[in-house]
Amino acid sequence: MTVQQPNPTARPVKPTSKLRTTLWLLVSLVVVAAFWSVDIKWSALADFPAQLIKYVGLMLFPPDWSKFGEAFMATILSVQMAWIGTVLGIIISFPLSFLASKGLAPRAVNAPLRFIFAVIRAVPEVVIAILILSVTGLTPFTGALALAVGSIGTLGKWGYEAFEGVDPGPKEAVRSTGGGTLALIRWGVWPSAAPEVLSFWLYRFEINVRASAILGLIGAGGIGKMLQDNVQFRNWDAVGMLLIVVVVVTMVIDQISGAVRNKLIHGTWRAPRLAS
Amino acid sequence: MSTSVTSSPQPQPKTQRPTKPRHGAKSLAAVVLLVAITIWAGIGVQVDLPAIAANWRNATTNIIQLLQPDYGFFPKTIPALLETLQMAVIATVIGSALSLPLAFLASRATNPRPKLLAGVRFVMNMIRSVPDILFASILVAVVGVGALSGIMALVLFNVGIIVKLVSESLDGEDAGAQEAALAAGASWPKANRAAMLPQILPSFASQVLYTFELNIRASTVIGLVGAGGLGILIDNVRSFFRYHELSLIILEILVLVLVLESLSAWLRKKLV
Repeated sequence: MTVQQPNPTARPVKPTSKLRTTLWLLVSLVVVAAFWSVDIKWSALADFPAQLIKYVGLMLFPPDWSKFGEAFMATILSVQMAWIGTVLGIIISFPLSFLASKGLAPRAVNAPLRFIFAVIRAVPEVVIAILILSVTGLTPFTGALALAVGSIGTLGKWGYEAFEGVDPGPKEAVRSTGGGTLALIRWGVWPSAAPEVLSFWLYRFEINVRASAILGLIGAGGIGKMLQDNVQFRNWDAVGMLLIVVVVVTMVIDQISGAVRNKLIHGTWRAPRLAS
Repeated sequence: MSTSVTSSPQPQPKTQRPTKPRHGAKSLAAVVLLVAITIWAGIGVQVDLPAIAANWRNATTNIIQLLQPDYGFFPKTIPALLETLQMAVIATVIGSALSLPLAFLASRATNPRPKLLAGVRFVMNMIRSVPDILFASILVAVVGVGALSGIMALVLFNVGIIVKLVSESLDGEDAGAQEAALAAGASWPKANRAAMLPQILPSFASQVLYTFELNIRASTVIGLVGAGGLGILIDNVRSFFRYHELSLIILEILVLVLVLESLSAWLRKKLV
């Protein structure tokens, strides 16, 4: 290092780190290797824009609305699946997340539950669904069960984080007046955590609405199944209509759920703005 | 209790308790509504516990098979495993390259044209409301079975996420330097490039790594509809009821996700 003159306007030298440089090199190497080794005919990309325009034209100009009634009923079934899945997930995860909170249950109970939540979160929802469906068979109800199990991982984690994050004041107050664990949960923890937890439940419902469409693709019924059937038979105009239905229903449910969440957290009914 | 306080002859205490707002009727209505929706949905999906109980013998043999992964199957899964990784890496790179300029168009702080802003945001919202597997199933029909359709589906999925996250952090950045650049006569793109881009790069890098984690998960499953990777393998063994092999694949996914997520979290700490 050269000795720095006390010059106040000189730019400080940017610190470099060997570790960072090596890591960046490694990352670049991995990227190059991936591009170089992947088994893809990149030439197929050349006519992709033309293909895309062609298929978008087939799907959306115009969409085929003749099967709209059927599509609407299938969507309702998907949403019902998501709802039952969320309700079951809440029923199972709610007591478990109390047991997983430090301070509300012994450590020996916390740790294994947290591990189970983490494992469920690590496996993609569809894979959990496949596991469960291979045991129970393919019906909308088993689809809902699969969603319920998938929900336990996230709901459990968000739950115990919310319960552990509450203001300690009320908890101390309950303890100091001789309250037991149940009183602690009811009066010290639940009132402050409730808005957050309720909004997590709604958020999970939004996720499950999307996931239920996916479960249909692997055969659990609902809008996904109808979509997959129409893609396989290349009824593109029907696929276009189904896509519109999926997007609109998902957005509408997100809006309603977002408005309720705003009410729970901020106290006002305000739907999230679409183009904001 | 509050009535006794107000009617007491003593002078009003300053710290009078506020009366508790009454929610009884409203909460009751909400509970009734929720129960009604649940019953309606339960009828819709045909909740049928006896059928599951009846299926139990069949289920137990499947569970026993699932609990004994067939490790001998591992060499056969390696090509699919590699393809999953390749798809995730390539899609992350392309997706983040496309997202950076789009994020500048989608942020109020960097895009002065309200109509273009609203348009870009609306399209991004549409893209985000379609699940990744759905994109994959359509792209498989358009460009054919294989990794290319999977990469394209993942790219769409990534653009939706990264643009949202990065444009939101652009909204929150300090606009002072940008204002100075504009005042000195720079055009919006130049001001954004010189004043906003450097601020956003660390958060951009961290969102890219986060998206890579999402891609690892997603790339294991989009193969279910034919878009390459481990998913194709899952679909094969599942249709032949080879549960020993299915459980090995799921175990691989679990390990892959856990290892790469901790690696990516570590990288995020080191690089960002």
